[in-house]
Amino acid sequence: MRLRCPHCGPRDVEEFEFRSLVPAAGAAAFERVYERVNFSGQSTEYWQHVHGCRAWLVVGRDPSAGEVRAVRLLGAAP
Amino acid sequence: MLQRYSALALARAALGRGDYWRPLWGRPAPEAAYDVVVVGAGGHGLATAYHLARDHGIKRIAVLEKRLVGYGNVGRNTTIVRSNYLLPENHYFYEDSLRRWQTLSRDLNYNVMYSPRGVVDLATSDDEMTAYARRGNAMRLAGIDAELLDRKALARFVPALDLDAPRRFPIIGGMLQRRGGTVRHDAVAWGYARAAAALGVHIVEDCEVTGLRTAAGIATGVETIRGYVAANRIVFAVAGHTGAIGTLLGLRLPVETHLLQAMVTEPVKPLLDTVLIYMHPHGEVYLSQSDRGGLVMGGALDGFPSFTREGQWSRLEDVVQSAVALLPQIGALRLLRQWAGTNDQTMDGSPLIDRLGWDNVFLNGGWCYGGFKAIPASGAACARFVASGTAPDLIRAFRLSRFATGHMLDEKGAGPFPARQ
Repeated sequence: MRLRCPHCGPRDVEEFEFRSLVPAAGAAAFERVYERVNFSGQSTEYWQHVHGCRAWLVVGRDPSAGEVRAVRLLGAAP
Repeated sequence: MLQRYSALALARAALGRGDYWRPLWGRPAPEAAYDVVVVGAGGHGLATAYHLARDHGIKRIAVLEKRLVGYGNVGRNTTIVRSNYLLPENHYFYEDSLRRWQTLSRDLNYNVMYSPRGVVDLATSDDEMTAYARRGNAMRLAGIDAELLDRKALARFVPALDLDAPRRFPIIGGMLQRRGGTVRHDAVAWGYARAAAALGVHIVEDCEVTGLRTAAGIATGVETIRGYVAANRIVFAVAGHTGAIGTLLGLRLPVETHLLQAMVTEPVKPLLDTVLIYMHPHGEVYLSQSDRGGLVMGGALDGFPSFTREGQWSRLEDVVQSAVALLPQIGALRLLRQWAGTNDQTMDGSPLIDRLGWDNVFLNGGWCYGGFKAIPASGAACARFVASGTAPDLIRAFRLSRFATGHMLDEKGAGPFPARQ
């Protein structure tokens, strides 16, 4: 799998680290830390390009098909 | 009816016309109602159904399976069994399992090829030796065997391992559990399926569960692609897809689905007669040699949620690099096969056995790295839970509420990061 880093272009997944699923808006602290809703079709996640530019990214993926839908910088408009 | 396996049966079959052996389990169509419906014909589901029928006399049991018996992780793991855990809740549970593995072939009348070849955790630093001494002492206090091996003892126990070979992370010793080893994984699925079917359990393959029907606060049955099946009690044993069940039932669960890869080399003559686990700062590998001769290897999770059952190339590379660093003599071997399974990864790395949402719905899942080796204990304890309505002491710590009450079983001390658990 490859992710297209907005700074570095398409890079192999081994350069990145998955950080966490993006919690639902308004979720309580306990829920954010310990509970998950596992969507098999669509997943929004925080990643970091740890072995590249080190930017934090928001990645939209389909964990059933193994496809990356969208990558943007954390804080950038979707 | 169970066709018992014995030397006499073998002789009879050999003298017969080749039509002596019968299928291990039948292909019943699902009936309209059962006392207990178990969802998932993997190791845990089949073992739970077997114990419900054998130990608790429950008559009408069905195991509903989306695909085939043994399609999931019971047929995808690296076959290692051990009970070398630090935390009491974990080591008592896995020790119960290891004791059951020792007699399982006799209990099921099916050779699961339990091989107590020993499991060696290798240490690359003094700190790690100290941690192994602590873990080994915790085990020994619970009556579980553990031995600390210094360099010399390790060289004697694993002749294939050249301790003088230059390595980035040199090996200085290890911890050995002699009763740990391997069990033939497919035989476990087939053995439990056969034994359960012989006790009247219906094993229904190609029968995906698509929903749960409830009325007046209790579950009344499951919707399947082959129609509605009513049940007094329902057990979900679908580890790998527990998260998907949560989504189906509208529940948030402390679990993510991650991929774990395994791979096997072409077969070679006997080289390694034990299980080696080599964890170092840049990767990890656990490997053993199968009876067929292939070196079976696995390592860390792929690192991000996935349901694909495909592994990332980069992780395969990590595992193979660690294996070759450990045993340079296998460097010229070719990989024969590579595969992956979907893991339930929980927030503390320990399993989940509890009621799920309704009083008569049970969850057996969250197995992380420990699913295969847990099967016999999990089946027995889960069956007792379902039959009596009270969780046995052995699995009480695996309750879902432990995250809210602060009673996590964080064996690794990794925190609520499922990708690292």
